[in-house]
Amino acid sequence: MKRKLLVLLGAAVIAGSMLLGGCARQTDGTSPAEDTAEVSEQGTEAEMSGAEVTADADKKAVFVVSFGTSYNETREKTIGAVEKAIAEAFPDYEQRRAFTSQTIIDKVNERDGEKIDNVTEAMDRLLADGFGTVVIQPTHVMNGEEYDEMKALTSPYEDKFASIKYGQPLLTSSDDYETVINAIAADTPQIADKTNAVVFMGHGTEHFANATYAALDYRFKAMGYDNVFVGTVEAYPDFDKIKSDLAAYNAQKVVLIPLMIVAGDHATNDMAGDEEDSWKTQLKKEGYEVECVMKGLGEYPGIRDMFVAHCEDAMTEEAE
Amino acid sequence: MKHILKTFFISLLCLLLCACNSAGTDSGADNSANSDKAKGEISFTDDDGIEISLDKPAERIISLYSAHTENLYYLGAGDRLIGAYKTSTFPPEAAFLERYDYNGDPETLIAAAPDLVIIRPFVRDKAPDYVRAIENAGITVVSLYPDRFEEFDDYIKKLASLTGTEDRAEELLADFHGEIDRISGLTSSIEPKQSIFFESTDTNVRTVTADSMAGLAIDLAGGINIAGDAQPVSEGSSIAPFGEEKVLINADNIDVYVSQRGSMNSGASKQGISERAGFESVKAIKNDRFYTINEKLISSPSFRYVKGVRELARYLYPEELDDISAYENDSAATKRSFADIVFLKKHLPVFVPSSSSYYENEYSGHTYGLFEDIPWTDRDFDSIETCVSDGYIEGRKDGDKEYFDPDAPVTRDMLAQTVFVMGDFTSTSDSADIADISESEHPRIVKTLVQNGVFELVDGKFEPKRQVTNNEIIKALEFVK
Repeated sequence: MKRKLLVLLGAAVIAGSMLLGGCARQTDGTSPAEDTAEVSEQGTEAEMSGAEVTADADKKAVFVVSFGTSYNETREKTIGAVEKAIAEAFPDYEQRRAFTSQTIIDKVNERDGEKIDNVTEAMDRLLADGFGTVVIQPTHVMNGEEYDEMKALTSPYEDKFASIKYGQPLLTSSDDYETVINAIAADTPQIADKTNAVVFMGHGTEHFANATYAALDYRFKAMGYDNVFVGTVEAYPDFDKIKSDLAAYNAQKVVLIPLMIVAGDHATNDMAGDEEDSWKTQLKKEGYEVECVMKGLGEYPGIRDMFVAHCEDAMTEEAE
Repeated sequence: MKHILKTFFISLLCLLLCACNSAGTDSGADNSANSDKAKGEISFTDDDGIEISLDKPAERIISLYSAHTENLYYLGAGDRLIGAYKTSTFPPEAAFLERYDYNGDPETLIAAAPDLVIIRPFVRDKAPDYVRAIENAGITVVSLYPDRFEEFDDYIKKLASLTGTEDRAEELLADFHGEIDRISGLTSSIEPKQSIFFESTDTNVRTVTADSMAGLAIDLAGGINIAGDAQPVSEGSSIAPFGEEKVLINADNIDVYVSQRGSMNSGASKQGISERAGFESVKAIKNDRFYTINEKLISSPSFRYVKGVRELARYLYPEELDDISAYENDSAATKRSFADIVFLKKHLPVFVPSSSSYYENEYSGHTYGLFEDIPWTDRDFDSIETCVSDGYIEGRKDGDKEYFDPDAPVTRDMLAQTVFVMGDFTSTSDSADIADISESEHPRIVKTLVQNGVFELVDGKFEPKRQVTNNEIIKALEFVK
């Protein structure tokens, strides 16, 4: 219920800022150059200077969109690290950030006074700041609901820029699966010990992209990792499926790892929490030794490289 | 001294107020309506300054404040509640009352035909039209809120008079103060004293004022309040600015760090605290003495406040407060004694659901407060709910009902599972040969614990179904780090 309200609230904020943006573009006049400094601080308001006119295809930005987390240190290790890798790879592009969770944006703003854009605010600012070429790179794991919602927010802007391109989420092409598995395996020594069962906990979604999880599990096994299992908190493969897989594998020890960009609340509570319904507690009740690895996907160098590669693919793709 | 003066002043104020209010009635200084009982009349001035007069106790009550709801249940008037505000989730049955919201349409409340609506001044301030609409419909609205701990008894007596539960109120208040006195008596003699920092909001690391309920709880629990001289953000507020910097200045002195969490304030979690720059140097964080406490236990004027005081005292002086000597015997253990021993021996913080929407979700495991055989009034409610919610002891489901079976025996098999879940045990390579392992429900756990020396075999047998004694539980728990 609370969550629904917050979503509504978030939607209202987004709708509100869209309206503002819409109105703003009608006014025109002052020279854009003198407004640039102000623009970058004031967002939609500054847009009144009529930035649209100045859109310059050679002024390029890479816009990284993440769900977000309110934990500062965790954020820097995960989302921040992905952003840094992208920034280093493409020095010709100015980097922008947005979070899709308005709850997290509001919390960080209230607590730390740090203002993080939502998608619409960031798009408005890119427009106001005169960017002509924008590459949007989500840090989403798959082409799911979050990704669709992001595109719904960015697509109205597509004809306002000389070029908008999208980098793909982590698990998109068939090759991505293999690359992800190699990236994870390279940094997860526990996988090599076959007396361990290694369980990756994904979020899970009602979106049809939920099949991604089972596909990843399948691919792990196809690549010889028969001790690796992929499950989700909210969808299928569910925890019962994981338990039956573990029983069949006859594991002594289970290593739990989040399959999420950030090791945040789900990893802390649903996976590694001390309450009776966490995966850790439930597996211990069954007699497994349990090790929790509190490491988000953003912390694996190989995963960060993939986001850089997806970004690069978008940059070099032929314009439609 | 400050408190005594304050108490005196407030009592004086009460006396004066009561003297004024009771013009025309024969009630004395104690305006709890006790003395009016014979006349069958209920009259007092509520906290919005409105004269209240009822001919008889209310029968159909809607409570628009969670503390009123809790207290009415304690008073035994829960069956007269026909509705409550959405944050009313204690006792657990209150969560299933019809919901009324002062941000909504007053007509839905009026249509329920209550004969009494209990609010607090905050509600009238926030939703004056809503309250007025109810009053215009001819429904009695009473506004109550004790601003200070010293006003708690008077507040409870008013609630009691509205519901004709004065005798029960006397008993409860006597027990309430008796337990608080016992705790403060116990902690006042402990030396050296432990210091505590109480964080009331994550934003700007605010604390509470010394005279707030939480501030008072620190005194009662025998703690030295690091922020004892913090001044309120605004006059009359219980929230006081403090800030990260001052916390860090006191880093070496903070023995215990408590973060308050609640529905309006998500509060700092253990992870949130550990990610603040420099906080790893805070003594309490280094020594793993960080706790979160639900605001309903510590900042709300309800009978549950005694639990909040006890929790703070347990965080400060765990060994002194959590006394298991009553269980150091060879009596056969029941699940009830098992839960108590685990709770006390391992100093488990009391589990309370943190979200007011807790009951809107379904849980695959246990749902807090819903054991058919452990009502919220059970003396061991907290230890049992905590052990089950932490996953240390299991209940039983029968259809959609849950049972704890407090009198059931504790077997070696059950004890093994608890010890394994609580601890961090690794299987060693020398596999133990256990003759009757097939009789165990947790063969993997039993093997590991036998290898680790937690259990001894008798003639090569584990005897999983044998009932353990209280002393055996205590001994096994020694192996949990």
